[in-house]
Amino acid sequence: MAAAIEVVGVSKTFRIPHEQRIYVKEYFLHPLRRTTYEPNEALKDVTFSVGSGEFLGVVGPNGSGKSTLLRILAGIYVPDSGRVRVNGLLSPFIELGVGFNPQLNARDNIRINGTLAGLSKRELEEKFDQIVAFAELERFVDQKLKNYSSGMLVRLAYSIAIQIPFDILLLDEVLAVGDESFQEKCFATFDRFKEEAKTIVFVSHQLDMMSRFCDRVLLLQNGHVGAIGSPDDVVDVYREHVLVG
Amino acid sequence: MSDISYPLVRRGATSGVAYYLRVLRVIGAIDFKARYADAALGYVWSLAKPLAYFGVLWLVFAHLLRTANQTGNFALFLLIGILLYTFFVDAVTVMLPSIVHGGAILRRLAFPPILIPLSASVSVFFTFCANVSALVIFVAVQKVAPRAEWLLVVPLLAELYVFCLSVGLLLAALYVRFRDIGQVWELASQLLFFASAIFYPVGILPNWAQRVAFLNPFVQVMQDIRHIVLGGASGPNDVTAAKVYADAGGRLIPIAIVAVVFLGALALFRREGRYFPERI
Repeated sequence: MAAAIEVVGVSKTFRIPHEQRIYVKEYFLHPLRRTTYEPNEALKDVTFSVGSGEFLGVVGPNGSGKSTLLRILAGIYVPDSGRVRVNGLLSPFIELGVGFNPQLNARDNIRINGTLAGLSKRELEEKFDQIVAFAELERFVDQKLKNYSSGMLVRLAYSIAIQIPFDILLLDEVLAVGDESFQEKCFATFDRFKEEAKTIVFVSHQLDMMSRFCDRVLLLQNGHVGAIGSPDDVVDVYREHVLVG
Repeated sequence: MSDISYPLVRRGATSGVAYYLRVLRVIGAIDFKARYADAALGYVWSLAKPLAYFGVLWLVFAHLLRTANQTGNFALFLLIGILLYTFFVDAVTVMLPSIVHGGAILRRLAFPPILIPLSASVSVFFTFCANVSALVIFVAVQKVAPRAEWLLVVPLLAELYVFCLSVGLLLAALYVRFRDIGQVWELASQLLFFASAIFYPVGILPNWAQRVAFLNPFVQVMQDIRHIVLGGASGPNDVTAAKVYADAGGRLIPIAIVAVVFLGALALFRREGRYFPERI
């Protein structure tokens, strides 16, 4: 199986300032005071690969580096060291609610997101109705997003992510806020993507979904790869060693 | 060292001139519509602002202080200056906070961050184009005969737009690190209004001050456009960069400044842009 994603020795550290200085005045008032930083090692020497057509689950407690990893795979964050190779068209679903303009309606947000993701005008016209239909937002397409519920936003964001042509789909907590019917719709698309041999990287706290859909699961623990392997084994390790402590 | 590689097919989808133009057109048009959608008088406001400036300045300088005597067609002279100034300041003002306020999408999608400030400038450019049509009506009413020479205004406007983009990109990137830049720009834009011969002829300045004033590409573009549109009508104060820097090389000074600022802004964006998603 050819690798769709290869990650070798990737590390990422964020420098969190103890005291944020964003005004020049602060540099003048305290010229000798150096800004001190708390290094936050979000990812430490992470190595794994995802085969083409594989459904990889990623689990881990809050702050273990899951979203950072997905952002690095999506090309949003730059790793400090290591190598990332992505073979195929990639579509990300990352951080719900971020990136939409709440002052614009769904129609304009779809056009902006689709265009930025690389859809041509014709492709966007072709996909537009499908995006709205899947999200079941036909009646609300001309409403500003500031009036949308979080459930409506997740439907819209997921719908856009899966309508952009992709080989690799990155999903971060897609099931966290949707209702049961939306979850069922997601599951149906997961099954379809598996049949179509799409590669999926799926971050979730819903551990039962790991066994149901994933071929393998990666456990992230404090930025390290804690375990990688069959869903049942890794979920057991997670439950025993991390959740129970 | 890190190394990220994506296949050519992905790069093709989110890079290239066609992609940039498509994004700028789509976001620019949506921004333009959104800008005036909730206002009762819509686009009229964007015309009202420069016209109000014009009305007050015309009243003060043409009637109360009689500056108009020094320039042939003071009304047109003033209107050109105000429209160009409004365009320049509005473009930079919308670009400056665009990454910090509108850049959240960078945390969700990977695309060139330069597109955010660039697309913010597009709706201001649309507004400017609409305002220029008001200028055309004004010119017709003033019975100024059009000349083929006027076509030279187009490359000059292009130069001004590049200068707007350069300053806007530079400040947008710096604003991510230093939030003071907002206040600095507010002050600088006010000073620019008084320092760049918008409502008085640049010729009243001493020679050394003229040489300093023309280091600002905005002044060079404005004076060149006035020279082209008004012809010799603006009298002894019809001063352009070509006259101030008598030698041909000196003529290129403001253009060289545009080029340097533009390249500097691109270099800064290239260096800083990849870290914007972490910093905003």
